[in-house]
Amino acid sequence: MLDKNNCAEKTDEELVVLTLENQNFFSCLVERYEPKLMRYIRRISSATQEDAEDLLQEIFIKVYRHLNDFDGKLKFSSWIYRIAHNQVISQWRKTKARPLVLKFEADEDFLKFIATDEDLALDTERKFAAEEVREMLNNLDDKYKEVLVLKFLEEKDYKEISDILQKPLGTVATLINRAKKQFKSISKEKELNI
Amino acid sequence: MGELEKKILEKIKEEKIVPKPRWQFLLKDYSIWSAFLVSVVVGGLAFCVALSITVDNDWDIYRYLSISPVKHMLLSLPYLWIVLLFLFLALAFYNYKHTKIGYRHSVFIVLGLSIAGSILLGYVFHSAGIGRKIDRIFARNVPLYQEMECCSNRKDIWSQPDKGLLGGRILNVRFEDGFDLEDFQGIVWQVEKDGQVLIREPFLVRVGEGVKLIGEERAQQHFWAREIRHWDGWEDE
Repeated sequence: MLDKNNCAEKTDEELVVLTLENQNFFSCLVERYEPKLMRYIRRISSATQEDAEDLLQEIFIKVYRHLNDFDGKLKFSSWIYRIAHNQVISQWRKTKARPLVLKFEADEDFLKFIATDEDLALDTERKFAAEEVREMLNNLDDKYKEVLVLKFLEEKDYKEISDILQKPLGTVATLINRAKKQFKSISKEKELNI
Repeated sequence: MGELEKKILEKIKEEKIVPKPRWQFLLKDYSIWSAFLVSVVVGGLAFCVALSITVDNDWDIYRYLSISPVKHMLLSLPYLWIVLLFLFLALAFYNYKHTKIGYRHSVFIVLGLSIAGSILLGYVFHSAGIGRKIDRIFARNVPLYQEMECCSNRKDIWSQPDKGLLGGRILNVRFEDGFDLEDFQGIVWQVEKDGQVLIREPFLVRVGEGVKLIGEERAQQHFWAREIRHWDGWEDE
């Protein structure tokens, strides 16, 4: 039987190697990434809890099947997020039953971040309520929401976002800048309408 | 152990799921990289043939053909090879984008490198005379290619003595002011030249050389040369 205490000391990359030798180690990776990926799926799709769980199961099975495709030049977290991202998109393409709506479930930490980020800080006289900020974020174009989710909610750096979305670094930087601009423009518009 | 974690591990065990072997992924990677390299090399070959045809073309003879310089240029461009070059550049781009690192570089960098690779290789191939050889191989074996204005019809252009254009191989140098020339139909011409004759490139008028003559048909099988050009790649004709 696997002693889970062993997992905590191991890096993701070490766990991949161990899993290839003994499949029981895969449970360490599942345990480590289950909550993170569940949040991520819910943030980038309109999936219900049940659908998200099914999707997550498929993601982990796919990760397991493709373990030999993982190369150490990439962070394991970027690789597993990439698989999750692609799986969500592919699931949406398969069913198309529900539109793919990126839902910005901004938590309090993120809202605080918005208030302090130099580029995102709302230089308006009026202080927006948390719910209003969430609404404004959800009005952003999907391509911008996607990078903002990764940058501010998943706290990934540019290189990781580039590896997850499989876009050049420059494109990621441009998307984030444009996302910030669009967010500011939406907030100004909202202020004028009140 | 969480519920989901348990379900995942059970499924793996029950369905006897195993990681795909590493060689399958390596094979896919190498295939894509090979396809990329082949595309760049074939693009290079297309570029080298286009370059050879362009370099060998006589851009200034439009006045003897009674057509405008623009029409002559449009008729002379090696469209087939230009289209093939773009096609293989697009393939190289597509293949590179499908490699594991393909997403890291922008369209401009990938296309720029593919173009640079094809041009560099094309230049090397051209210098080795490969472009001219491919052109001749196509001209001999592909009927449709023979119909194209641009590429293999240089012999036709230089088989119009009535328009002042004659090409062929020097059979013998009879005297200082002339030589015998066998044209592409096997007809032997007596060629006269005088001290005013313009010889474009530095080459010797000697037996076996391929030449292109600009001048005048003075009588049957008798041609006066005003200008003599060396026929590059004669040996391939």
